[in-house]
Amino acid sequence: MPNNKGTLEIRSLSKSFIVDNNSLQILNDINLTVHSGAFVTIVGSSGCGKTTLLRIMLGLENHYTGEALIDGKQIIGPGSDRGIVFQDHRLLPWLTVGENVAFGLDKLKRKEKKLLVDEHLKLVGLNGFESAYPSQLSGGMAQRVAIARALASKPEILLLDEPLGALDALTRMYMQQELERLWLLEKITMIMVTHDIDEAIYLSDKVVIMSSRPGVIKKIIDVPLSRPRNRASSDFTRIKAEILEEFHLGTEYPFAYAI
Amino acid sequence: MSKKFIQRLGLKDKLLAIMVPLLVLAAWQGAVSQKLCSDLILTPPLTLLNTLVELAQSGDLTLNILASLKRVMIGFLLGGTSGFVLGILMALSPFLNRIFGPLIKALQQVPEFAWMPLIIMFLGIDESAKYFFVAIGAFYPMVLNTYQGVSGVPEKYHELARVFDYKSFRYLFKVIIPSALPSIITGIRLSLGLSWMFVVGAELFGSDSGVGYLMTWGRAVFQIDLVMAGLVLVGVIGFAMNLVLEIAEKRFLLWREPVDGRPA
Repeated sequence: MPNNKGTLEIRSLSKSFIVDNNSLQILNDINLTVHSGAFVTIVGSSGCGKTTLLRIMLGLENHYTGEALIDGKQIIGPGSDRGIVFQDHRLLPWLTVGENVAFGLDKLKRKEKKLLVDEHLKLVGLNGFESAYPSQLSGGMAQRVAIARALASKPEILLLDEPLGALDALTRMYMQQELERLWLLEKITMIMVTHDIDEAIYLSDKVVIMSSRPGVIKKIIDVPLSRPRNRASSDFTRIKAEILEEFHLGTEYPFAYAI
Repeated sequence: MSKKFIQRLGLKDKLLAIMVPLLVLAAWQGAVSQKLCSDLILTPPLTLLNTLVELAQSGDLTLNILASLKRVMIGFLLGGTSGFVLGILMALSPFLNRIFGPLIKALQQVPEFAWMPLIIMFLGIDESAKYFFVAIGAFYPMVLNTYQGVSGVPEKYHELARVFDYKSFRYLFKVIIPSALPSIITGIRLSLGLSWMFVVGAELFGSDSGVGYLMTWGRAVFQIDLVMAGLVLVGVIGFAMNLVLEIAEKRFLLWREPVDGRPA
């Protein structure tokens, strides 16, 4: 595998929306480099522009100043070098699981398509479900199908927009392990937006912390822990405290120490 | 709604559903045989059945039903197809919507039968007039429901199509139409239902075949049983057409069935 593919660079990027004739700055001077094969998470409170930033990377938002580059090339729209998993699984309800996974493979021959669909359903642990309809799946299963669909077109970068946000706590932790497994297996770049700090630390090499109005990158924190990570380890907790500090949720409990 | 209703009907409910019409028929037959009402005015059910059997034996039944069905199909295809195409175009192009939207809403207020004098003036009373009349009836529900379905395709599916690079016809047939299908099928059902009503109406105005013709002829020769046989035929055939479409709808919209109560 040629392994410098899937590098993302954002250079002094700013974006504003026009609301009622007023310009509302959403993103301000964002600079971010995500190296090939890295897992990077963007965290921030709602309204910090993290989803907008991800949509720029995906190519769905076009009007901005600055640069957004993939492998040195300007992003000019969605492309098969990037895959996306949305928060709502966004499977097409009239297509079966297999047809949904094949949705991005429309230009391939039937045989190749089938091969890729089988491969990726197996990858996410859903072989045997190809003829089920999305309405018959649980939330976690539907999200697995969405991940399979995104990976089937062999992207260099997988973008994840709060992919586990709608799942219950246990399914969520299980799916985090699954995402890590897929990332280690596929060796592609993954960029995830989340508001779950534990999830960010569990999965990422780097946690990008954004703050709102206008959205800026406040800090980038490295997570140098070995994998698989222990959510209860002291290092994990220390990094969590460091991130929470940035949200002014740091542990300032003088009484706790006083007792 | 009626689809679920039929599903939920147990044997008991089915019996009940048959009981009421049977009771009405019995009361009807009773009223006539007890001379409460002249059988010249109100044909008793048994005589009616006899008339229908005679019609069937003479071949008139099949002939007239086929004549009506042919007009329905041609009119429905003309009106339904143009409604479908225009509905899609209007939903996808704000420009076309601004042009045709108000026009269609205004024309829709014109009662269907008010078209009749104009149609007769332009097209006479031959077959093409009947096709056109049926087509008008089929057009409105199709254009309105298609428009509604296509303009209601959620933004998230449009976005998905952009991400996976679906364009033009591929986009239309793989994303837009399937997403709008429930609404389109409702349009087809309403459209076909109205076509059937209007074909009978058109035939009342002057024709030499069809179920509507059977009824006007029965009235002209004062054969009430023919008129009533026509009524029964209109009802039964309309019911059967709706049933077939409901089954087709169920088949096509299999994916919409929520399995555990969650909306699909």
